[in-house]
Amino acid sequence: MKGILSVMGRELRAFFFSPLAYIVAALLLVVNGLVFWLIVSYLNDPRAGFGAPLELFFGQTLYFWLVLLFVAPVLTMRLLSEERRSGTIEVLMTAPVTEGQVVVGKYFAALLFYCFLWLPTVAYPALLARYGEVDWGPVLAGYLGVLGIGALFLSVGLLASSLTKSQLVAAILTFAMLIPLFTFGLLENLFSGAPIRELLSYLNLWQHMEELGKGIVDTRHLVYYLSATVLFVFLSARALESRKWR
Amino acid sequence: MIDAQSLTRRYGEFTAVDGISFTVDEGEIVGMLGPNGAGKTTTLRMITGFLPPTDGHLTVGGRDLFSDPVAARREVGYLPENVALYPEMRVAEYLRYRAMLEGLPRAKARPRISETVKSCFLEEVENQIIGTLSKGYRQRVGLAAAILHHPSVLVLDEPTVGLDPKQIIAIRELIRELGHKQTLLLSSHILPEVELLCDRVIIIDRGRIVAEGSPRDLQDSWVGNTILRVELKDDPGEAPEVLAAIPGVVGIVSGDTGCYRLECSTNTDPRQSVFEAAKERDWVLLELAHEQASLEDIFVRLTTQEPVPSSGRGELGDASQEEVPS
Repeated sequence: MKGILSVMGRELRAFFFSPLAYIVAALLLVVNGLVFWLIVSYLNDPRAGFGAPLELFFGQTLYFWLVLLFVAPVLTMRLLSEERRSGTIEVLMTAPVTEGQVVVGKYFAALLFYCFLWLPTVAYPALLARYGEVDWGPVLAGYLGVLGIGALFLSVGLLASSLTKSQLVAAILTFAMLIPLFTFGLLENLFSGAPIRELLSYLNLWQHMEELGKGIVDTRHLVYYLSATVLFVFLSARALESRKWR
Repeated sequence: MIDAQSLTRRYGEFTAVDGISFTVDEGEIVGMLGPNGAGKTTTLRMITGFLPPTDGHLTVGGRDLFSDPVAARREVGYLPENVALYPEMRVAEYLRYRAMLEGLPRAKARPRISETVKSCFLEEVENQIIGTLSKGYRQRVGLAAAILHHPSVLVLDEPTVGLDPKQIIAIRELIRELGHKQTLLLSSHILPEVELLCDRVIIIDRGRIVAEGSPRDLQDSWVGNTILRVELKDDPGEAPEVLAAIPGVVGIVSGDTGCYRLECSTNTDPRQSVFEAAKERDWVLLELAHEQASLEDIFVRLTTQEPVPSSGRGELGDASQEEVPS
């Protein structure tokens, strides 16, 4: 536990000291702010349909996904590849900690920073609550989706980072893995056969967010995020260990 | 403290360390010498638990590195070859992180850090960002981090590489001081350094141990015949014959314009005879000195040989009776 905490602490500090993290934070806020403003002004139009602004905010615009697909590689690309490139891995892996502790510590640092990035968006429902009624259930469910899908994306990035010494390669690799992960589910409607359609629907992240935004929490989806995340974190530890056998 | 038995490490087809066995006792300072690519770093990496051996047995501080790796790593402090630090951290912050990583309780860590900072002369840079430090300071930060948890074995890989002479002296002093308290294994390709610091030297080449012993022992057993340097003014023509006839002189290794190098059989000192011979003939003797074969000569001789068949040392001993490359 102490091993995990010390790795996590250092990693978190590194996040807050790196300019890149602030660029990402700024980008996320600008895009989210813009989207929120667009949604609110769209719904203000009397000709527009009904809808809760935050239901649309969570995952129903392309921006939400673009930002997520960009944030995950940027946050995770450094995690393990930089240790390997600079050689600090040698000092780290000769300390009395296991590969598993290192990987888990780093993963949670990234996840915490990711949560920190979303923290300011709590202002949107708070703002809405001043002028109208906010149904907090769906809002919470939406954040649950943001957390679950973020956790999944970050674990993919962690794995990519464990495979290479180059941050750039890690980022590109993450992106390359996230694209199919995100788009496969969208192909759902192309198929009419039951098993394939069902499988794709199970993987359809956009669909998941739509439901969560409405306040429908399907535990199957949460199980999907969690199990895939655990798998990727586990694979990262294995990849880190593999240096020993080459 | 360190017990390595037929340690082997292969990278694919390439064998970096080929069945070496050695022990390091408590309180000893042992130097590992070898040309680049001899397998020094690989050996040290196995001892520190960074790389597992492909074959062989290894215990550090009584702990088996294979069955109990985390406990064994706790026994070891390690300064890798290219001291890698996190450039964005401050020195004290980095040491705090390392203390936590090593599992030191917070209450214990604080006095330990300030003590280490003092002993590594880091007080002035304690709050500086590591990225802005000079190489010498960075080396010292790495060293401080390695000794922070009072490991029973300290492993230093090329601790003075890339430093300027003044920094080298400072680091060596620090190492010598540490050596009084700890078991120390260091690698180097700088021979005087090893001669200066170590109780015992292990010379490795192509993944095998080619010689082992104290610097003095190595000199005695590998040097063979001693060389006497004689310089005469105006080079008298008869000098070669006269010098060669002196008892104890086996032959003349080289000689030009009055400067001769005489090979003398071991345990003889023909210096007096040379002086007397010169006095008799009214030669002006400019120089008369023993050439001390340094560890450097031994090292060069041991590591420039063709690969030898398995039994190693006996045959090397024979081969070393040949001419000393100078």
